[in-house]
Amino acid sequence: MICLSKNKRDTAILLEYCAGTLDIERAGALENHARECAECRALIAAQTKVWRALGELAVPEVSPDFDARLYARIAREGAASPWRRWWPSLRAWSWKPVLAGIAAAAVVAVGLSLYLPALHMPKSQDSFQQLRPDSVDVEQVEVTLEDLDMLTPPAAYTGKL
Amino acid sequence: MEGVAALERDAQLMLRVREGDESSFALLLNQHRRPVVHFLFRMVQNRAISEELAQEVFLRVYRSRGSYQPTAKFTTWLFRIATHVALNWIRDGKNERGHKSLEEEVIEGVGRQIPDRRPTVEHRMLTDVRLDEVRRAIDALPAKQRAAVVMHKYHELDYDRISQALGISESALKSLLFRAYETLRERLSHLA
Repeated sequence: MICLSKNKRDTAILLEYCAGTLDIERAGALENHARECAECRALIAAQTKVWRALGELAVPEVSPDFDARLYARIAREGAASPWRRWWPSLRAWSWKPVLAGIAAAAVVAVGLSLYLPALHMPKSQDSFQQLRPDSVDVEQVEVTLEDLDMLTPPAAYTGKL
Repeated sequence: MEGVAALERDAQLMLRVREGDESSFALLLNQHRRPVVHFLFRMVQNRAISEELAQEVFLRVYRSRGSYQPTAKFTTWLFRIATHVALNWIRDGKNERGHKSLEEEVIEGVGRQIPDRRPTVEHRMLTDVRLDEVRRAIDALPAKQRAAVVMHKYHELDYDRISQALGISESALKSLLFRAYETLRERLSHLA
């Protein structure tokens, strides 16, 4: 059963029926149903009225010089500099997504510039705890000093006696 | 090549334009000039502007000949450009027309299609008022709904192609058409 008023998905059926493009089988089913359903009958009548009213609107003929004007524009564009040629396209292009992207990138950049330096800076008391002499491993200090000795060139090499 | 052989005529012509064949562009223009101008006229309801916008559409087609790829039907692509141009024009608020232009068009005889062999002044006035109401009802629709109705009613494009031209899904298009026709039914309910 086709009930247009109960099933909005059947809007396509209503439009196709009024346009005369609905297949005979479904058109017959709709007509049979509409005989018993006042709501569908009213909907079909209203849509048919709209369809006919739209059909009454005519359009003007295209100006005879349409092609000549178009070819003149094409010729002008061909003779123009590349920048002038692309300017209308650039103007017409939608910049909204690009601007949104730039704004998002700017927010991320500001966030990173605030967050990254904070990572490398010594943090208040916790950082000082790590630097306190009593918390430093003595063995590690000795190894470090030995390494420094190895790195320091002998006096002969430095030219000093 | 099977793919190329299966291409529709318009796409083949466009590929020839890409190769530098200007006569193919003339054939395309000849074929699609009227539908594009008429589509735009129904969108903007002004003859001069519709032709101006149609020129912009064909200019864009010509400009993009170098990068043209026949991924969709040519007319779908063409109507997508035309829709884009029309929606941009409407969005930019360039449609600040007074009622005068509508009346002028009616006087020019543009708005009449019903055979009217012996029009009395009264009959003609009634017809003009009726057509003006229909035109205003279409004009009052949101731009995308208007484009959907125009393509559906006057250009007999199927849902798939209209949705591609509008850049929306088929279900979104059905919902758009439902709302548009519902509004038109309400606004034109008083017509005889």
